[in-house]
Amino acid sequence: MDAVVTEKAKLSVKNLNFFYGSFQGLKNVSVPLYDRKVTAFIGPSGCGKSTLLRVLNRIYMLYPNQRAEGEVTLDGEDILHGKQDLNLLRARVGMVFQKPTPFPMTIYDNIAFGIKLYERLPRSELDGRVEDALQRAALWGEVKDKLKESGLSLSGGQQQRLCIARTVATRPEVILFDEPCSALDPISTAKIEELIDELVKDYTIVIVTHNMQQASRTSDYTAFMYLGELIEFGDTEKIFTAPTNKKTEQYITGRFG
Amino acid sequence: MADVAYESNPMTVSDTKIAAVKRSGAGDTRFRALTVAAAAIVVLLFLGMMAALTEGAWLSIRTFGASFLTSQKWNPVTEQFGALAAVYGTVVTSVLAMLLAVPVGIGIAIFLTEICPRTLRRPIGIAIELLAGIPSIVYGIWGLFVFAPYFQEHVQPWLVDAVADIPVLGTIFEGPPYGIGVFTASFILSIMILPFISAVTRDVFETVPATLKESAYALGCTTSEVVGSVVLPFSRAGVVGGAMLALGRALGETMAVTFVIGNSHRIHASLFAPGTTISATVANEFTEAVGDIYHSSLIEAGLILFFISFVVLAAAQIMLRILHKRAGGVAA
Amino acid sequence: MTIAINKRIYHGRKRANGVFLTLSTLAAGFGLVWLALILYSLFYNGFSGLSLKVFTEMTPPPGQDGGLANAIFGSVVMSLLAVFAGTPIGIMAGTYLAEYGRYSWLSDTVRFINDILLSAPSILIGLFIYVIVVATTHTFSGWAGAAALTVIVIPVVVRTTENMLLLVPNGLREAAAAMGAPRATVIQSVTWRAARAGMVTGVLLAIARISGETAPLLLTVLSNQFWSTHLGGPIASLPVMIFNFAMSPYEDWHKLAWAGALLITIAVLTLSIIARILESSRKN
Repeated sequence: MDAVVTEKAKLSVKNLNFFYGSFQGLKNVSVPLYDRKVTAFIGPSGCGKSTLLRVLNRIYMLYPNQRAEGEVTLDGEDILHGKQDLNLLRARVGMVFQKPTPFPMTIYDNIAFGIKLYERLPRSELDGRVEDALQRAALWGEVKDKLKESGLSLSGGQQQRLCIARTVATRPEVILFDEPCSALDPISTAKIEELIDELVKDYTIVIVTHNMQQASRTSDYTAFMYLGELIEFGDTEKIFTAPTNKKTEQYITGRFG
Repeated sequence: MADVAYESNPMTVSDTKIAAVKRSGAGDTRFRALTVAAAAIVVLLFLGMMAALTEGAWLSIRTFGASFLTSQKWNPVTEQFGALAAVYGTVVTSVLAMLLAVPVGIGIAIFLTEICPRTLRRPIGIAIELLAGIPSIVYGIWGLFVFAPYFQEHVQPWLVDAVADIPVLGTIFEGPPYGIGVFTASFILSIMILPFISAVTRDVFETVPATLKESAYALGCTTSEVVGSVVLPFSRAGVVGGAMLALGRALGETMAVTFVIGNSHRIHASLFAPGTTISATVANEFTEAVGDIYHSSLIEAGLILFFISFVVLAAAQIMLRILHKRAGGVAA
Repeated sequence: MTIAINKRIYHGRKRANGVFLTLSTLAAGFGLVWLALILYSLFYNGFSGLSLKVFTEMTPPPGQDGGLANAIFGSVVMSLLAVFAGTPIGIMAGTYLAEYGRYSWLSDTVRFINDILLSAPSILIGLFIYVIVVATTHTFSGWAGAAALTVIVIPVVVRTTENMLLLVPNGLREAAAAMGAPRATVIQSVTWRAARAGMVTGVLLAIARISGETAPLLLTVLSNQFWSTHLGGPIASLPVMIFNFAMSPYEDWHKLAWAGALLITIAVLTLSIIARILESSRKN
């Protein structure tokens, strides 16, 4: 764990409990998420890894009867309580979902939508920003001639990269990936993994996945969760080669889950 | 390249973001308030309707009191008004219309979901839905110009003769063949609500999970047994709810009835005699009514219709909600 | 022995099924025949009464030639006014039910009341507008008619708007919210857009619904034999004209009534079919 100490935590979760009504989805979870690193969350279905992700941008607030208790800080500032503006939080912490969610508008407008939320730009500058975002999501070459077509006309893998581009365009500081490849074919998955490698130079990345290879390929740190608890957190290499916890070992060797 | 500037100076971007979020937050509150106001308008329309009808009916309520509901005297000259005949006609025509339309409508729905060849299902289903949207005045003039004359000439005299000596039927179907009357009005009404009942019932039948029907068929059930022991029990609340909605329509229907009921404020035992309903009375007399008390009495009749329909429609909503809960429960 | 009994049961069941199937089919045949007869009469009589004059000339006095131009005009104007007034209110209220108020008790109440208004007898809406508009302004008017039709439009649009918005997957709302878009932006730029075809369908159905409404207009605008664009007074409308002409003893008025009924039916059917096409394009 000594390497861990030298890193700066962008997001820090302490003693987090989460409730769906009376059901407790997270139990006393504490974990640091380091700046410009990829942290992967693995674990069997229903272990709370997606729940944790949904706390980090507080998207769970869209629904009644869901509440979080504990402490989550972004650059040292509390984001769970008080006067934290949700929209501002989400401007800093972007999210890419499991299923691609292109908005029902053109490819261009899908990207411009996020930019326009925060900035009033002249057309030429907006064009540049859209192109830049699509470049970063490695999608520009495929869509540059059909920017006026509907985002829904793209393939699943392209749609997912469009969603990544859309998130990048708003210039967040953290990007959350909620099983971003589970609906995609292997080639699209590989492209997105490459993309994550690229994006981590500028962004703090948190990825939830049920694919252990994906976690080991893409992440710097890995957290293993089980039944709402954080079982083990550490260097990805260490988690996958020499886990300290018995449960972790059983899971990554495929004996359950 | 644009990113370089931003990476070196992230604070400026955050500042513009903060400003943008503040701006849009105000817009958000305003938009939300607008939607709440619109929702409030819906409630206000309903309350306003109740208040306006009560206010308009107040003179009549004060003047006639309970006798308005028990008297069938409707005399504009002496300004004596009692709505019993209209209330009676409203209930009788609606109930008769339901007696015919519900079994036939359910039959059509069963035919469409279980019997009809697949290629015909969609076209017939669509045709019925389209018919459900045809304005009732079309049914009304058809009743007046086509059905009533034919009925008067070819069916009524024969029917009156045929049942004259049978005790109860003889009384129900007696009198001179006018063509128009309570029976004709009920019949036109039932034809008018038929597409509606069929369409709603078919939709309700389609909420029955396919696996449920399949497992009954897999036991060797015949179509009638599947419908009788799986489809109908499962969708009972919905079928009843749909039928109550149709009843609500029939109770308040104006144009399909007004043309063919004869507008007579007398209660007859015979269904071939002319009668009236609340809505037909209002449609026929309102614009020609002279005097406050006459207007007020017509509005009070409307108020009575408001309460009858409210009870029926509210019951329909509750039944339909039960069905949706059940269908949702199975799906989950 | 057991086989014989089983056979009896089996044949009994088969017979019952046969009777059941026959009855259902007969019911369907019976119902469809009447509906076909009505459509036949309507088209036969309607088309024989239809001519260019119907669109170009005013409603005639009895015994003379004429058309329905003033009635068509009045209907179109009042319907458009009602749609322009009712649609925004209906869409906003439907949006409240599906978006902001999805889990609140207030929306349960609003939804319940809206569904009642949706099927409330339209003649009561006529009486309502009579009491609050006609009786207070002391004149029957086109404005009052448009108000009555608006009251009919609102619940139709509320219901379809809510239904269509509920079909928009939550993932889309989450995705837009996750970008920091405020709720109003999420709704206006994403969910409305995703539900657009369905919401337009609702408006079309609302127009179809009011284009044949007779009773409310009868109590609020009366009618007018002449060309009038003055909404402050009585103006002609197709349904009321059909009502008056059909109740009259004059043969040529009857003809115009049929022609008018055909026009309304064609308008309603066209609107419903467009709505249906939009609806199926949304599903694909």
